[in-house]
Amino acid sequence: MAIKTKKRVTMKDFSTPSESLAEFDPEETIDLPAPYDKIEELPGYKQMKEGTRDRLEASLDDTIAVGIPKPESKEEEEKLVEAFLRGLHNLFSKENNWTFLQPLTLSMEHCARCQTCVDDCPIYEASGKEEIYRPTFRAEVLRRLYYKYEKGGNKLFKKFQQGDIDANWTMISRLLELSYRCTLCRRCAQSCPIGVDNGLITHELRKIFSMEMGLAPKELHEKGTVQQLEVGSSTGMNKVAVMDNVEFIDEDMTDRSGIKVETKWDVEGADVLLIHNAGEFLAWPENPGCFALLLDAAGISWTLSSDLVGYDGVNYGLFYDDAQLARVAMKHLDIAKKLKVKKIVMGECGHEHKALGVIADRIFSGSIPRESAMTLMEDIVFNSNLEFDPERNDFPVTLHDPCNMARSMGIVEPQRRVLRKLAPQFREMTPHGVRNYCCGGGSGFAIMSGNNFTDWRVQVSGRKKFKQILDAFSDVDPGPETKKYVCAPCSNCKGQIRDLFEYYGATEKSGLYYGGLVELIVNSMKLLKEPFIDWEMM
Amino acid sequence: MSILHLLVYASALLFVIMIVVRGMRIARTPVHLRWELYPVPHEKGRADHGGSRLEQIDWWTHPIEKDHLGELKVMVPEILFLKAVKEHNPKLWFATFALHFGLYMLIGVMAVAMLGGLLQGLGVITVAAGNESAIGIIAKVFQYIFQLGCILGAVGAILMLYKRIFDSGMRLYATPSHFFNLFLMGAISISGTFWVGSDPNFATNFAGIYSALFTVSPMPELSAQALNHIGIVLLFVVYLPFTHMTHFFTKYFTYHQVRWEDSNVVGKMGDQLAAQLDQKVSWGAPHINGGGKKNWVDIATSSGKEEKN
Ligand code: HEM
Ligand code: SF4
Ligand code: SF4
Repeated sequence: MAIKTKKRVTMKDFSTPSESLAEFDPEETIDLPAPYDKIEELPGYKQMKEGTRDRLEASLDDTIAVGIPKPESKEEEEKLVEAFLRGLHNLFSKENNWTFLQPLTLSMEHCARCQTCVDDCPIYEASGKEEIYRPTFRAEVLRRLYYKYEKGGNKLFKKFQQGDIDANWTMISRLLELSYRCTLCRRCAQSCPIGVDNGLITHELRKIFSMEMGLAPKELHEKGTVQQLEVGSSTGMNKVAVMDNVEFIDEDMTDRSGIKVETKWDVEGADVLLIHNAGEFLAWPENPGCFALLLDAAGISWTLSSDLVGYDGVNYGLFYDDAQLARVAMKHLDIAKKLKVKKIVMGECGHEHKALGVIADRIFSGSIPRESAMTLMEDIVFNSNLEFDPERNDFPVTLHDPCNMARSMGIVEPQRRVLRKLAPQFREMTPHGVRNYCCGGGSGFAIMSGNNFTDWRVQVSGRKKFKQILDAFSDVDPGPETKKYVCAPCSNCKGQIRDLFEYYGATEKSGLYYGGLVELIVNSMKLLKEPFIDWEMM
Repeated sequence: MSILHLLVYASALLFVIMIVVRGMRIARTPVHLRWELYPVPHEKGRADHGGSRLEQIDWWTHPIEKDHLGELKVMVPEILFLKAVKEHNPKLWFATFALHFGLYMLIGVMAVAMLGGLLQGLGVITVAAGNESAIGIIAKVFQYIFQLGCILGAVGAILMLYKRIFDSGMRLYATPSHFFNLFLMGAISISGTFWVGSDPNFATNFAGIYSALFTVSPMPELSAQALNHIGIVLLFVVYLPFTHMTHFFTKYFTYHQVRWEDSNVVGKMGDQLAAQLDQKVSWGAPHINGGGKKNWVDIATSSGKEEKN
């Protein structure tokens, strides 16, 4: 790996107009093992569409996540700068940001700029150490803005202590994009000796843009939370559509498994309200199908909800906007109360886990308890009467830890216990558990694909994960004949892994497949006459 | 009372006030949403793999067991040896370890001198270095520790300055204060070396200063080297609370109030949260349009659509 010394982008450069501050160079990124080591054999990096830079704010690097139109006049620019500064002010007020004010100010005021955190960032590393992707770079921008515009005190002394920055539109429009070049995976935060959290800082930056200026990627906002609150799901499915889909899934599952599968809707007083990421119904229907089969077989009293938002556990608000976060979480908790269930079980979706499991804890206290599907599945595998035949899973399996589940919630062991019992060729990635690498699709990236963003996310943010996956299988036949299963118990991670495998041609070249945890459990259930997993259909 | 008395009293008072004010300000910020980061070392039996109580079926039915010793096992090596830097930034480790450990040694000796001075002021002991009494020997030992601390601190400060200047990643994020802070810490160490190296009555004088401060009685006779060192230390003491170096105690909050803070809503936290949800919001995006009129509950129970009108 040859990492050339690049021109270091400074704070001053960041506020100074120029075409771009970074670009992806395949020569400088981390190497992948064969057969992915020949740059010329990979599809390359798709450039932004012609004319993009003329129309949209795209002077950060060579992709866009938000891509807002360029302001038409100086006045419009000034208005935007003012709005940003109002947002900055709100971000540091206890009325508007009690939700994160303490961790945010602690992170603002105590960073020693020692750079101990930087080498833990998979994006910074895979970019070939582009300065702007350094975990401390965007944090430093916000820090300087905070001291200059929000924190009281003598101006000269503040400059002496914290440095300076110019808040102009060039800088702000770049900052907007830059807040979508970090997956909020918080791996950097784990290594900070002082306890500063650069992932949180990115999260807070996104809030200024969304909550004050109404600027966010359309996949997260208009098509995400807004659509979810209006139609019922960020997939666009309304109640009728989702029930239709599930009926079809039930039939298909019944056919494939030979066991009657019938999803239950809106059962009052059920023990478990199961909430899936609704993306599963469309992209990976066997996942909710397997849940239905497994829970019935285990004799659990469960239900889905057909209420608005009740059938979609997605909560993109977690990634960019506290108001949207609270709205969606509120709906989930209300529905559970209405159905009088004993607990909500969060399906295989990492950010749903975090939003409902820990974040919502303090938004509306005293509500129905929430539990991870991981622990429920573990309980079924170890404590129910069901019998399993691990031999049916006798192929190489590795496990991806969704950041939100592992790093942010400490749910690490249950899924492993299941795999150790049911997958004889289970092997860990290095590192794994709470020190895992993000799939590269975190914080909403997995569903963002405008312009050439997918290229950036499979070649930069997801590269480290792809390498880790390949390394995990380095001891088995590398060819496609040996089918290898990446167990990723999270819809968003699966979306990203799908795109990674597609881009690199990993299924054809290496026999790499991916899926959830419940599929492996059902695959090994003796109740089924034959294994359930059908490689052709994956 | 001499000018030196006044300067020391004033600096110490300012330091304490500023630290208390800063600490109170942090402690009083609103209860935030949970944002813990695993591994959380007080998770009994689970910390090793980074697990939490959420790994249990029906977790809310199990008693919460906290392993406070587990927290200490993480904190002590972190504070004393800067373990995270060693693991994640090994190139920087020796420099910063020397800087910090040197400083800790000086602070340690200062604490002992303070105790000695207090006891001497109370007439319990007499601190006189060089004689064969137990106190004399202790004084000698701490004099060596001071000397060593000064050397280590000076080496650390110089190496850190070197890193700050020549490591491009560090230089880019340095502000003038970084150089000044290191310069000041280096100056403390170097002036300390001069004092301890030139003053045969170092220990007696050091404890004597505290004795004089506690009893408001005349200071021992101090050399120019001693006064030099004391002056720089006082400047540092007054300056520190206004800088990021307050990390020496705010680390308590970043760890115990954020990283490891995983409690469910208990006790008066519920009331605090209710009061916070009642606050008026002024975020201005169309889907919120708070205008300082709606509170958080209004926002959370609306769909965001009607806000636009
Ligand atoms: C009075 C006590 C302390 C002072 C005056 C102090 C001072 C400093 C200074 C000046 C720096 C920045 C050096 C530079 O990069 O320019 C620094 C960094 C740092 N401090 Fe402290 N510190 C103190 C206590 C602590 C404690 C208790 C910890 C506990 C773990 C700690 C951990 C660190 C770490 C990890 C860094 C980053 C590495 C570095 O840049 O040197 N410090 N400290
Ligand atoms: S965030 Fe932490 S590790 Fe990173 S530079 Fe700041 S103090 Fe150092
Ligand atoms: S949160 Fe993750 S992606 Fe973001 S800067 Fe830190 S390590 Fe990098």
